Amino acid sequence: MKRFGWRFWSCLVALVLLAATLFHPRIVLPRPAHRYLFVLDITQSMNARDYHVPGWPSDRLGLAKAALERAVLSLPCGSEAALAVFAHKNAYLLLAPLEVCEHGAALRSALRAIDWRSAWAGDSYIAYGLFDALKLAASLDAALVFLTDGHQVPATIKDPVFRGKPGRSRGFIVGVGGSAPVPIPRMDLEGRAIGFWRKTDLPRQVHSPRFRRQAERDRSGLLLSHRDENRLRRLADLTGLRYHPLNDPESLADRLRQAPTAKKRPVAVDLRPWLGFAALLLAFAALV
Amino acid sequence: MTNLGLTHPLWLLAWPLTLVFLLHPGRKGVPYPAMEWLPMDALGRKIDRLRRWLAWAFLSCLILALAGPFLKEQKVARLGTGAHIVLTIDRSSSMNEDFSGYLSGNAKDSKSAAARKLLLRFVEQRRQDLFAMVAFSTAPVHILPLTQDRAAVRAAVEAIDRRGRGVTNIAPGLLMALEEFRDHPVTGARVILLVSDGGTHIDQDTQERIRQRFRDVGARLYWIYLRNPRSISVLHPPKRNLSETTTPEYFLHRYFQTLGVPYRVFEADDPESLAAAIATVDRLENRPLRYFETIPRRDLSAHLYGLGLILGLPLLLWNALEIRQWFEPKR
Repeated sequence: MKRFGWRFWSCLVALVLLAATLFHPRIVLPRPAHRYLFVLDITQSMNARDYHVPGWPSDRLGLAKAALERAVLSLPCGSEAALAVFAHKNAYLLLAPLEVCEHGAALRSALRAIDWRSAWAGDSYIAYGLFDALKLAASLDAALVFLTDGHQVPATIKDPVFRGKPGRSRGFIVGVGGSAPVPIPRMDLEGRAIGFWRKTDLPRQVHSPRFRRQAERDRSGLLLSHRDENRLRRLADLTGLRYHPLNDPESLADRLRQAPTAKKRPVAVDLRPWLGFAALLLAFAALV
Repeated sequence: MTNLGLTHPLWLLAWPLTLVFLLHPGRKGVPYPAMEWLPMDALGRKIDRLRRWLAWAFLSCLILALAGPFLKEQKVARLGTGAHIVLTIDRSSSMNEDFSGYLSGNAKDSKSAAARKLLLRFVEQRRQDLFAMVAFSTAPVHILPLTQDRAAVRAAVEAIDRRGRGVTNIAPGLLMALEEFRDHPVTGARVILLVSDGGTHIDQDTQERIRQRFRDVGARLYWIYLRNPRSISVLHPPKRNLSETTTPEYFLHRYFQTLGVPYRVFEADDPESLAAAIATVDRLENRPLRYFETIPRRDLSAHLYGLGLILGLPLLLWNALEIRQWFEPKR
């Protein structure tokens, strides 16, 4: 007769597996993880208030920041996020790519610190900014997420030439704002509202063949701003980015998580739960 | 306890299964014709009861370990030497130049790249300090509030050698850096480390405001002046031709001396002297500092697996001692 029965052996194997967990075995597996460069438009049209989602900020920049915070923190571990702001013609890198799980708190506080007053110029050339952001994203090996309302000041007749590969860029253009035109609040440097921007506040004469001369009759009343879908969709088609309208703040997180731009990056996977589970099954078998 | 958490709490649903082992004998019955005449075995009963509880504890341990218990992140008070340092960094277009004063001169690096390299080393060495970061050109940018997250500070410093834009506008940058201290308790030396390659004229009104804020928060100012050979030295200024328009650096230096807080300027006209400047700052700031260190959440499942192993060993012994048949079957 065999000295020991199967109960003994399964109990022994369960204990050996348990002993193995003490060495904290890990295996490095490629897991899908994202690397995004988030570029936030901080020109003043982003101060327009046209969101009416309960519990969320009503101004475009505030809502974009809140939606971004949620989206960044819900990316799978191992993903990385870089932050930049856009004004005038350029994207300005604030934070180089940072892992989102371990440094979530720092990313959150950096996001909250973004302010429209950091804009180094009042103009916003959307296409220039987007192309500059694409270059920045390429240098960081990241997919681009460009959040803007598409409102361009001053208006130009034609866009700059896109020098990248058309239709090959990875990432999103996120359209912020509502589709109905609303006035743009004018604020002083302390952030207090002092009225609204009027069309007469724009420079009267622009000496460049690139800029559209405004007709005399257009030069009265408030300067209105809406989400410029046409421009954003055109730019998305040109560059190959996907267009995502930010209608409700919670959809962005899902969209970014499920984006096909995830690359397999090595992430250390803890093997202990698997060993522990096997040990549990064996122990059940041994003791019943 | 509130500072314990579970990663996969759904595992706890499996826990009632362990109660089965309290009721179940947990071994095979051996048929024997007449048990009635055997005396009560009190010790045997006790051992059996012990064994059942042991099995229950063992399985509970495993299930709890699988649920992934952890101790939430905690703040622990520590005493160390360190400071609250706001890195206030110039990102104007002139930072793209190298130390020879040209965009692509003889020197290897642009000023911003040199500053980046050294600040990275500085941040790496000052392990106990809190860092915040403000960058300025035409307008100030608040990049990172005071944090202990070293990797985040590194990520912020790594971003500074991207192309700078705009003009040098120091005053708003300084005001924003001073603002950083406003809601923080004074637990250590407060330092504003200004890294800039030039000076600007600050108007009288703003000068007064900055002076007042500096005194309010009690911050000290260290200015790392990235000088190229063509601009003047603020420590050894030329005797003639000093004016606010041609040599604003000198007047900025004179103004900083009137702030009424500890102030030092370090002239760095090549990467090596920049390193020396940072080393000096490094030596200066070692006052004792009470600070809270956030310990990241600690996984406790290893302890439970270990405990499970200890509880399991006697069970293995029982299994080994088990008699499965009364006698050897005949061959």
